[in-house]
Amino acid sequence: MGEKPDVWQGTLSVMVLKTLETMGPLHGYGIARRIEQTSGNLLSVNYGTLYPSLLKLEQEGYIASEWGVSDNNRKAKYYRLTQAGRKQLKREAREWEQATSILARFLSPGEKSS
Amino acid sequence: MRRMRAWCMRFAALFRKEHHDRELAEELESHLQMRIEDNLRAGMEPEEARRQALIKLGGIDQAKEKYRDRRGIPLFDALLQDVRYGLRILRKNPGFASVVILTLALGIGPNTAIFSMVNSMLLRPLPVADPTRIVEPFIQQRGSSLQQEFSVPDYRDIESESSDAFSGFMAQRELVDGLGLNGKAERVMDLYVTGNFFSLLGIKPALGRFILPSEGERVLADPVMVLSYSYWKTRFGGELDIVGKIVSIDGQPVTVVGVAPEGFFGVSAWANIQGYLPLGMAPISGADPNDFMTDRGYRAVTILGRLRPGTNLRQAEASLTVTAERLSKDHATEDAGLRLPLFPEPSTRLGDPRTGTPLLVSGLFFGLAALVLLLACMNLANILMMHATVRQREMAVRSALGAGRGRLIRQLLTEGALLALASGFAGITLGWLASSAASSVHVETDLPLRLDFSFDWRVLTYALVSTLIVGVIVGVAPAIQVSRGNLSSILHESGRSTTGSGERVRSALVVAQVGGSLMLLIVAGLFTHSLSQAERSNLGFDPNYVINFTMDPLLTGSHRSQGTSYIKNLLDRLRVSPGVVSATTAFSAPMSYMTIGDALTISGYERPSGQPPPRVRYNMISSDYFETMRIVLTKGRSFTDADDDSADHVAIVNEAFAKRYWPGQDPIGRTFKMASDPQHTARVIGVAADVRYQDVTSPIDPYFYVPFLQRAWDDSWETVQIRTARSPETMIPELEHVLASIAPGQPVWDVQTMNQALYTLPGLLIFQAGAGLAAFLGAIGLILTIVGVYGVNSYAASQKTREIGIRMALGARPAEIRKMILRRGILTVCIGLIVGLAAAFAAARVIGRFLIVPPTDPPTYLIVSVVLALVALVACYIPARRAMRVDPMVALRHE
Repeated sequence: MGEKPDVWQGTLSVMVLKTLETMGPLHGYGIARRIEQTSGNLLSVNYGTLYPSLLKLEQEGYIASEWGVSDNNRKAKYYRLTQAGRKQLKREAREWEQATSILARFLSPGEKSS
Repeated sequence: MRRMRAWCMRFAALFRKEHHDRELAEELESHLQMRIEDNLRAGMEPEEARRQALIKLGGIDQAKEKYRDRRGIPLFDALLQDVRYGLRILRKNPGFASVVILTLALGIGPNTAIFSMVNSMLLRPLPVADPTRIVEPFIQQRGSSLQQEFSVPDYRDIESESSDAFSGFMAQRELVDGLGLNGKAERVMDLYVTGNFFSLLGIKPALGRFILPSEGERVLADPVMVLSYSYWKTRFGGELDIVGKIVSIDGQPVTVVGVAPEGFFGVSAWANIQGYLPLGMAPISGADPNDFMTDRGYRAVTILGRLRPGTNLRQAEASLTVTAERLSKDHATEDAGLRLPLFPEPSTRLGDPRTGTPLLVSGLFFGLAALVLLLACMNLANILMMHATVRQREMAVRSALGAGRGRLIRQLLTEGALLALASGFAGITLGWLASSAASSVHVETDLPLRLDFSFDWRVLTYALVSTLIVGVIVGVAPAIQVSRGNLSSILHESGRSTTGSGERVRSALVVAQVGGSLMLLIVAGLFTHSLSQAERSNLGFDPNYVINFTMDPLLTGSHRSQGTSYIKNLLDRLRVSPGVVSATTAFSAPMSYMTIGDALTISGYERPSGQPPPRVRYNMISSDYFETMRIVLTKGRSFTDADDDSADHVAIVNEAFAKRYWPGQDPIGRTFKMASDPQHTARVIGVAADVRYQDVTSPIDPYFYVPFLQRAWDDSWETVQIRTARSPETMIPELEHVLASIAPGQPVWDVQTMNQALYTLPGLLIFQAGAGLAAFLGAIGLILTIVGVYGVNSYAASQKTREIGIRMALGARPAEIRKMILRRGILTVCIGLIVGLAAAFAAARVIGRFLIVPPTDPPTYLIVSVVLALVALVACYIPARRAMRVDPMVALRHE
């Protein structure tokens, strides 16, 4: 269990934004679970990385939070995406796609530039 | 943008910390619970579900710490923590904190106060537009000193010929007038100005209009005046329909046309001008002859110029030189060898800008105040070094517990800054109190002198900067010590050992303190001794048992002949009043702000070619003058009532006059002519002993007396002087009563004893201020030295407790112990005294010209050194005696 890698710094915020975009308002635990599931349980999200990251996003105004009640009647803080967050997600997604496609070009074996 | 928002939120989060902490705890708890529930659902045992959840989520406290770092501003948090800790430390050591704060406040306070005086005298610009471009030309002619007054024709030539470098020149004449309103006259200080005065200064009237450029060109043609804001408020109650009101100036009707803006006090840093009239109106008061606007030999106005933008002082002076050369060629009688040196306005405020007097005076007191601050800092360094030794253990423990060295130093610097801040605040308050006390010093005159030593941003900046510097010293000294400290050696030792170098440093501090305060005290002593010398002797007249008061019959509108007979009458009635020995009138009393002089043509005296006629100060007196003032007539006779307008004009000269202009000859029967009275020739009938009329240090200048019944022009300014049989203080009320009965409705000013009247700026006020200030600084220096010497010695003694215990256990007698402790203390004090004497000699040479006693005045040096030595010895002796009484058993078990 412990060998699961932590989330890379910098990618977590994109994952959080994307999660909130697809799932709608969600509490911290829900976000963590969803990220773990989406990664096929390859990633593990602990408090120490998740909550400071949520705080940073909130300070920057990409997400907003309010207290609510969960499905099983537990008090929880719900996070939702703001308009600025949506835009930020688009921007970051584009950057990631670009970055990964560039990297992919380097790493794919067959192609050689003539 | 986003980042800004984030920082704002982080800053906001510094507050309501507990609320945020609680929210985070709740959030993390609910997260944990949900994870446990999921684990249970997955079929784990409750115990196991909880354990797995905790492992999975990582350390709660680390998470909280990380979260907090992200939430607030960590550096700021640490600072707050340091401040809180520092305050706690200081609260726990109230003695230490108060000694430090008091010491520093005593250093910063006087510094701030003295700076505020220098600031108001020399630095604060005039309240006009663009004050840095205001400059003042002086007249320099061969063989005579720098002169501030110009003739009106010379002013007009300069104004019209130097417009390439100057936006313009204004001329002004300061005069004391009587301003009558509803039959009641009050003395005011008026400035007679050229029509361009206000526009060139660039100020706007508060009410009505200013004097127009067309006004003031012709003599007595424009009877209008502008009131100062403060005078309008006090005398006229700020009434809004003041414009158009007719008042009287010296009995002549004048229309008020406007009010100057608030805070504008004229163009002299010392005087508070109450009214402004056109220059051409100056003869209204009788002080100037009617042809003063056209007489090139009559120099009465001062000039200020405004530099054109982009012109510097040197270029402007070059432009003036051309004019000066032209004037000295075309008007050889008056302007032979004329040069026109130019100075920026602030440098002319304390007289001759070239002798550097203002710089020297302010530098001197600045130096003394800086010395006090230095003494305070040395004391402080001492205290802090001892304090740091005591805290070495605490620091060692904290660093053993994991505090980084940087963190410890930051802590010490924060404490230093806190101390400096508190002392800066205390010091500024102290300085403010001192300078407001100085502002309200009663200068012995009813003239509106301006002593405004109030604080402005310059003073505050100065105080803050000195506080900051002190704060760094206060924090850095112990911080250096901490950074040198070796952790394990401190923890293992008891932290009580002293190193030899520390002791040497402390001894050096004692030497510097004793030396510095000795110098301060000697300077204070020299001033004080000079003051008592000046009071007692060398004035040439006897100021005891004399009452002065001033009046001006013309102020109520009487004519000249009425005025003189009025005064004659008054003197006759005063002479027969009980307690009056003799009574006289004079134009000016010794050391008064009112003086008069004239250019003379002296028979039998050939002035060197290219030199203007000599200007000599004089007095207009009545027959009993020399008797009343107890001035010795060395030759000839005094004036009598027969020496009036119908008789031949006569004069009495002082010995300096006779010696300078008729060396080796009998002055009796010789004659001279005054420039203001060319119709008459005065014949010398007597010679009087030299008397000090202005300033008490420089050689006595030529001086002469004329009978007030023969004076040339229509002024009636009278200083009545009365010699009394009884103590003059008690006779003042009686005399005022007599005056009210024989001269009802006549305003009378400056009723005071001659001894009080000596304390003016040209008189003894400078010495009094110097002596007071130096004594004040000296006393602070002395206190600091006592504290310092005592502190160092008792610390040294306490460090040696163990050594003393061993020595005593081995059989040393208490007296030997005392000797051991005393020897070192006495040695350092003696070295300090020698250093101090040398420094005092050096300082006394600098201030020599402000002293009456010689700069090496032996009694002062001797008395001050002995007193300081005794005080220092006591400060050494008490700790030594305490050390002698140490119980060897207690001392050895001490640790």
